[in-house]
Amino acid sequence: MCDHHEEKFRPNTPDFSKLNRQAGRRNFLTQTSMGIGALALGSLLGNRLFSNAPKPVIGNASGDMEQEILKAIPHFAPKAKRVVYLFMAGGPSQFETFDYKPVLEKLRGQNLPDSVRNGQRLTGMSSGQALLPVVPSAFRFNQHGESRTWISDLLPYTAKVVDELCIIKSIHSEAINHDPAITFLQTGNQLPGRPSIGSWLSYGLGSDNENLPTFIVLVSKDASKDQPLYARLWGNGFLPSEYQGVQFRSGKDPVLFLNNPEGYDGADRKEMLAYLTQLNQLQNSVYGDPEIDARIAQYEMAFRMQTSVPDVIDVKDEPDETFDLYGPGSRDAGTYAANCLLARKLLEKDVKFVQLYHQGWDHHGSLPANMPGQCRSIDQATGALITDLKQRGLLEDTLVIWGGEFGRTVYSQGKLTPTDYGRDHHPRCFTMWMAGAGVKPGITFGETDDFSYNIVKDPVHVHDFQATLLHLMGIDHERLTYKFQGRRFRLTDVEGKVVRDILT
Amino acid sequence: MILLDIFTFSGRLHPLIVHLPIGFILLALLFNLLSYSRNFGYLQQAVPLTLLTGFIAAVLAAVFGYLLSLKGDYDVDALNRHKVSGISLAAIAGLLYFSTTEFFLKEIPVPRPLFSALLTGLVVLMSYSGHQGAGLTHGHDYFTMQVLLKQERPKPANLESALLFEDVVQPILQTKCAGCHRSGKSKGDLVLVDLPGILKGGKTGAAVQPGNLDSSELIRRVMLDPNHKDFMPADGKPPLTSNELQLISWWIMEGKAEPGKALASIPDTVAIKAVAAQYLGFSPAPAATHDITQNINPDIPATADTTLLGNLRKAGLTVRLMLHKPLMLDVTLPAGSGIPAANVKTSILPLAKHIIWLNLSGNGFSDNDLDFLSALSNMEKLRLDKNPVTDKICGQLTELKHLEAANLNETGITATGLDQLKKNRAIKRVYSWRTAAR
Repeated sequence: MCDHHEEKFRPNTPDFSKLNRQAGRRNFLTQTSMGIGALALGSLLGNRLFSNAPKPVIGNASGDMEQEILKAIPHFAPKAKRVVYLFMAGGPSQFETFDYKPVLEKLRGQNLPDSVRNGQRLTGMSSGQALLPVVPSAFRFNQHGESRTWISDLLPYTAKVVDELCIIKSIHSEAINHDPAITFLQTGNQLPGRPSIGSWLSYGLGSDNENLPTFIVLVSKDASKDQPLYARLWGNGFLPSEYQGVQFRSGKDPVLFLNNPEGYDGADRKEMLAYLTQLNQLQNSVYGDPEIDARIAQYEMAFRMQTSVPDVIDVKDEPDETFDLYGPGSRDAGTYAANCLLARKLLEKDVKFVQLYHQGWDHHGSLPANMPGQCRSIDQATGALITDLKQRGLLEDTLVIWGGEFGRTVYSQGKLTPTDYGRDHHPRCFTMWMAGAGVKPGITFGETDDFSYNIVKDPVHVHDFQATLLHLMGIDHERLTYKFQGRRFRLTDVEGKVVRDILT
Repeated sequence: MILLDIFTFSGRLHPLIVHLPIGFILLALLFNLLSYSRNFGYLQQAVPLTLLTGFIAAVLAAVFGYLLSLKGDYDVDALNRHKVSGISLAAIAGLLYFSTTEFFLKEIPVPRPLFSALLTGLVVLMSYSGHQGAGLTHGHDYFTMQVLLKQERPKPANLESALLFEDVVQPILQTKCAGCHRSGKSKGDLVLVDLPGILKGGKTGAAVQPGNLDSSELIRRVMLDPNHKDFMPADGKPPLTSNELQLISWWIMEGKAEPGKALASIPDTVAIKAVAAQYLGFSPAPAATHDITQNINPDIPATADTTLLGNLRKAGLTVRLMLHKPLMLDVTLPAGSGIPAANVKTSILPLAKHIIWLNLSGNGFSDNDLDFLSALSNMEKLRLDKNPVTDKICGQLTELKHLEAANLNETGITATGLDQLKKNRAIKRVYSWRTAAR
């Protein structure tokens, strides 16, 4: 365009006068202070001014420490390179899925003994009940696979891949309601504000495919939205914002505005972005705000996504057998099944962390009526995802996780009738499973008592689960920390032990 | 802040500077005494200059010493004695020099023997001051008969004869804490060299509460975040190891912070006994239960020239670090890269033993292109899917003794090739989806 492109970038228009003045003042201060106290300053600033390490930015004085922490990663040889986390939001009942409790048949209708409840607080929804009648699963269980694992008849496709799964029946949480519990699982803390698991991984490990976000979120459109989801669940917390999860919309256009508007061919967009980057950098040289860096990174990512996203969401080339495998929903973009298929395609492109959310598991009432449909909406595609990843050899280095934020109570919430019951929230034990890279296939870990109310063997706290997940990715959960407001934070807070018994 | 640091810095020079006045003043006395002899009479002329130099050095030493005294927690009485004597020393040295000037001699002529006597007195004062100063730095028992005659407690010959406090806890405190917490340099008024000192504690109270870990200040300090201002040992001195901490904690909790408890009286089932045995060198370090041990192939060389990694990236390969030591790499050639196999080969071969995972999926490579695979002897996972390779590739794969998983999906592999792969017992998983082998 113009011929002054080679000059030092410093626009001299009134709009920039304030910025220029500040930049000038900054230079002056730096230079004079260098002059006066060179010796003393040298000892204070020496390794920052004269080393090749990246210059720390203002508001982030611990830049050096962060670099040290990141440089030490990986702490372990990783088993997994990517993660797909199938989040069953609402709290799926363990009684109708994986935790088979035949003894309950005999105890049907009896009050939950105090010796079992052992002082557990109840939610406001069932604490007023005079009776807490024990209720067995309305659905039958059968043994499947070589491991002869008991699985509910509601999950026939999951049952087919049971020999790939490591079922953990002894996960326990600290929160009893949805928001704190789901926030706890995602960020390691019940209160909002900390980074999500995917953000930690993205921050700690970086990207294996610079054309796609490292952390992608897919929310099913074919689920009842009984409990809300919010973007902070995949938020970056206090980490720089380029590490937040990028949500793909559940529809035909997962990312909006990727196409050029009418009448514009996009030929000079790269140049436009380069100019914008220069403007942002000028701003950054004065204010040193890390969010400006994040913004620059995001614009560049958006530009690369213009070609990479249409490419990866295109399912034209998938044969019919793929759609048959994932089930009827898989042709309808935005359903759980289509998201599973998309997740597989993203994992093939080395996207590091793909998180699916499927709502509708909060069965306080009418569980027998609602559970079959709810299970059906995820079962086939979940089994298909395992099968597909396995046949493609991707299960070698991909970790699959399935689970909700807590379990459900052994007693019926509301009236127990011969055909109807509900179950309230239960944090003391619930079932999750993992499969793939680095976890033992075809095993069941942890045991609950006959009421699936308390854990009797091998408890796995949410922080233990998180520590194990990081371990599989090559990270020591105690060493991936980030200093914010004077404190160093980590995903597992001050707890968490790697569950070594489930590792291969 | 900067000013303060310069003060600290200068203060720490005191122990160095302080030797200058000592030397000069001794030299002045030496010259003065020698000058009585006929052969050395001329040395008397040098006395004033030597004394002046000694005076200036003494003033400097006093100033630096004062700066040092601001930073350190020294024994107040000893410090006062050293300070007063040191400053007097400098002043007297100045006065003595003044007495040699013509201006002074004109008014009051000082007789030579008196001057010599005063100078000798100055040296005596200097010795006293120096002794006090040395006591501050090294402890007052540093230079006493008591130390000379003290019997070191011999290292116990076996675990059964060892005492918990005397042979374990005390040596730990001696090595890690006594540098600053001893008589003469009792920072925070705390002396940790003997049991009475430990129980008496310092400024913030008792260092140890027998049977109560939570109110034992010593334990609180050493367990803080290392960046906390109260953390001990301060100033980046080596912190206590977790074993040392366990031993001291056990002594406080179960041993009630008492002396003379024999390790023999602790049952073998108590875990601390093993820790103590390890500390005293009677048993090898036990495998820590919390540590994650991974089975890493010992054949992988520990390190490699890191510029080679740059070459790999420049050649268009994606390199992911799997472990720093030994250096383990996960290398991927992006599908459809169009990069010729020869380039891949030349950049990979210098790092052959470090390639643990390799993904060449979808790059149109044939058997002949991939003649370098057998050199990657530590490879554990290999992806060759979507490449036109055939059964011929299997010969190379059977040579790879660490290969665990081979992905041959959508290749020209057949059942013959898969049979051949079975010869390599290391291979646990072969993927042959969408091939003739299925």
